[in-house]
Amino acid sequence: MKKVAVVGVGNTSFKSRHIDKTFPRLAYEAVRMAMEDAGASKDDIESVVYSIYNDFFEHCAMPDHHVHYLLGFARKPGSRITTGGATGGYSIRAAFAEVASGMHDVVIVVGVEKVGDVANVIEMVKSITFAADPFFEYQLGASPAGSYGAAIRWHMENYGTTEEDMARVVVKNKGNARLNPDAQSPMEITIEDVLKSPMVIYPLKILDHCLNSEGAAAIILASENAVRRFRKDPVWITGIGASTESGRQAERDNAGSSLFPAVRISAQKAYEMAGISDPSNAIHVAEVYDSFSGVEICLYEELGFCSWGAGTAFLRDGMADIGGKIPVNPSGGLIGCEHAIGATGVYQVAEIVRHIRGEAGSRQVPGASRGIAQSMGGARGAYSVCVVLEG
Amino acid sequence: MADEADPRFAPVSFKDKFVIVPDRWKVDFMVSMGELSLFFKELKENAKLMGTRCPKCESVYFWPRSWCHDCYEDCEWVEVSQRGSVTMFSRVDISLTDLQKEVPFYQGGVHLDGVRYPIVAILRNVTMDTLYRGMRVRAEFLPADQRTGRVRDFYFVPDT
Repeated sequence: MKKVAVVGVGNTSFKSRHIDKTFPRLAYEAVRMAMEDAGASKDDIESVVYSIYNDFFEHCAMPDHHVHYLLGFARKPGSRITTGGATGGYSIRAAFAEVASGMHDVVIVVGVEKVGDVANVIEMVKSITFAADPFFEYQLGASPAGSYGAAIRWHMENYGTTEEDMARVVVKNKGNARLNPDAQSPMEITIEDVLKSPMVIYPLKILDHCLNSEGAAAIILASENAVRRFRKDPVWITGIGASTESGRQAERDNAGSSLFPAVRISAQKAYEMAGISDPSNAIHVAEVYDSFSGVEICLYEELGFCSWGAGTAFLRDGMADIGGKIPVNPSGGLIGCEHAIGATGVYQVAEIVRHIRGEAGSRQVPGASRGIAQSMGGARGAYSVCVVLEG
Repeated sequence: MADEADPRFAPVSFKDKFVIVPDRWKVDFMVSMGELSLFFKELKENAKLMGTRCPKCESVYFWPRSWCHDCYEDCEWVEVSQRGSVTMFSRVDISLTDLQKEVPFYQGGVHLDGVRYPIVAILRNVTMDTLYRGMRVRAEFLPADQRTGRVRDFYFVPDT
């Protein structure tokens, strides 16, 4: 297997609405920025993987093939991955495989989403819940917030996590977003503000939810043979792990200490591949899938940043802050920066690459040379992908 | 004649100099339930919960699956218990589905007795104060003349 590096990253800003741009235009801007970053031209790109989650958002059942030719890639290989919130992670994995196998030397991953073209939030959530079990559970009112809400309540009951702790995640991530010029929702808010926002599904209030974003991100992967063609130092993908669990969330209700087994397994695989035995000391910076505030607390545990049940203490002690032991979501994450779903996992990797290169501006994690990006999707994190990056 | 309310034929609108084109996808389905059909038939006609059992490992599946994913053997139909325990739960205060008319409602995992996996279910006659993990519940069915053969024909209530 060949070594694979990220040699170029680019992304648009993230907004609730890019009224002035179509989804192909957003994709184009991210691709152009990634090429400029790498010092590459489109002729360097041998193959494309499109990270586009939802046909409804793009108002097209096969959106990738209406971007491919506009990007000047007609007649080159192009394929699309869609695995819910893990679309970005799985797209990177597919591109990684194309490069590691020796099939191609240079592959670009293009993540884009334009959620605001769905007429309103009710239609948007409806389009997401079309992913439910199509034979039995789809009429039972299951929703993304419901699938995570029950799991977070379980964590509260077992480990003493409180609604205030969840609010701390929101304050941290929206605060980090203030340091990120591309972020959609920089806010200086208090725990009280979060607790006062309307309840949606217990224990999740409006401000505990991730954003709905429009935007695009792109990264260019190159083989060890090709990295010297590009102008910046390569950031190597040293570990990549993926896991897909049952699409029926309740089948995991009795999973024990791990509420998100796909996350745990994907992390173990990624760490094993990267030769990491103690992630709590090996990882310097992390971008994780904070779809809901309480989920981030669970992820500290699933990703091995701390032991089971210690996620709340990890947060309260400031370990996840910029300046803490393992800064988590310095970009602002899904709560503060963006959740343009197909772009999310791609953007997370771009963010980690910037930290490793020392290009993350005022949110830079000093001395970061190894980081992890984790994305997940489907019913209560049925899909998960972890990518370990090293300078 | 186009329906006047149909956004597909509505004029474009403007936001500053940018144009918004209204549109709609409307797709009707007639979903064939194939090998799962008996579940829906027994639910509607007899208020029974039909699951399946693997003849090899004896796992019982509800929702039914027609083959065992561990053994790759075809399963046989069995009626399953209508009683079980709550695994997880939450209260829905805002639902972006037609269930909004019922908020707040309670939703959770129910693990039926003798069955391998819990399912997602709607819980009634409960509150956040009375619900707990392990709470015993039983299925309650709509009256025969109201049952449509769909999963909302039954829900769970405390088994007291």
